[in-house]
Amino acid sequence: MNYFWIQLVLIAGAVILAFMFIRRWDAANTRAWKRIAFSVFVVANIYAILRPSDVTWFAHKMGVGRGTDLVLYVMVLAMGFLTLNTFLRFRSLEKKLTDLARTVAINEGARLNEERFDLDLPVSAPVNSSGA
Amino acid sequence: MSQYDDVWLVIPAYNEGQVIADVVEGARKTFPNIVVVDDGSADDSAKHIMSTGAHLVRHPVNLGQGAALQTGLAYALAQQGAKYFATFDADGQHQTADVEKMVALLRTGEADVVLGSRFIEQNGQVPWIKRVVLRTAATVSPTARKLKLTDSHNGLRVLNREAAGRLRITMNGMAHASEIVSFLAGADLRVAELPVDILYTDYSRAKGQSLINGVNIIFDISLRERGRR
Repeated sequence: MNYFWIQLVLIAGAVILAFMFIRRWDAANTRAWKRIAFSVFVVANIYAILRPSDVTWFAHKMGVGRGTDLVLYVMVLAMGFLTLNTFLRFRSLEKKLTDLARTVAINEGARLNEERFDLDLPVSAPVNSSGA
Repeated sequence: MSQYDDVWLVIPAYNEGQVIADVVEGARKTFPNIVVVDDGSADDSAKHIMSTGAHLVRHPVNLGQGAALQTGLAYALAQQGAKYFATFDADGQHQTADVEKMVALLRTGEADVVLGSRFIEQNGQVPWIKRVVLRTAATVSPTARKLKLTDSHNGLRVLNREAAGRLRITMNGMAHASEIVSFLAGADLRVAELPVDILYTDYSRAKGQSLINGVNIIFDISLRERGRR
């Protein structure tokens, strides 16, 4: 049996995975590709459910023994993309959370310490209404 | 008025209610300007800090020591007349006398950043296993080697305004120590090391870094440059 095609697909998948890891992830066109990939996935899903024997036929073409094995291989790749996507998304969220919390902390802190030490900070000097 | 009016101590604190007030009051005998960043402590740290003369900045949620340091530096940088910025541990293991030495060196203008080192002069206070690991960390790290550092993970550092303003700590957790060193290696700043004394009390030992956490630090660092936007 000739394994060439399946090897090509799996290696290409791994390379793309590594490439996306070091490149910017959230760019608009990366997002578009992710959506296209998802649509293809859904269509392929429905097709595979309707005509399971075609999956086996395609698996043979790719150099894989059974359709089930092909599905497994594709799942491993999909899982990899999913994990990476989640990881990068979490990290980007964490960065946003940090920036937000820092801004809140510094603003609150400046106000609190101004009160505690009766400081006269130019940033948020109390405005005295006239005639008070 | 004190001769250290232009120095700000930045102390990150997470669940240090037991000792924080003593540490802050002790340090305030020398340094009038202190900002303590309460990193979302679950205990009564904030109350104890309020009882001292230190400025208090509170993270609404726990973010990690690196994030707390960056917040404290940002706060101190915004204060009038602040010229020198020291990072200082909340558990009482650092000595203000060491900070004085480090500030004095910065004042000469011969360095932009002074890092504390436990290993310039041999001292018996560091537990031997910790000594081996920390020396290894300083030796294998390419950036620490470039700067010829003997101790890349010391929490005691003093930065001048230029260095503090340029530093951006993005590693929220404990990997910030390595991040700071690699920033210093990449930046065009003059870095010096001075020997410091560390008091390993039972308290600081219990609160300190466990060596297994080094695995987390290595992992964080290796991923740092990846997927950056």
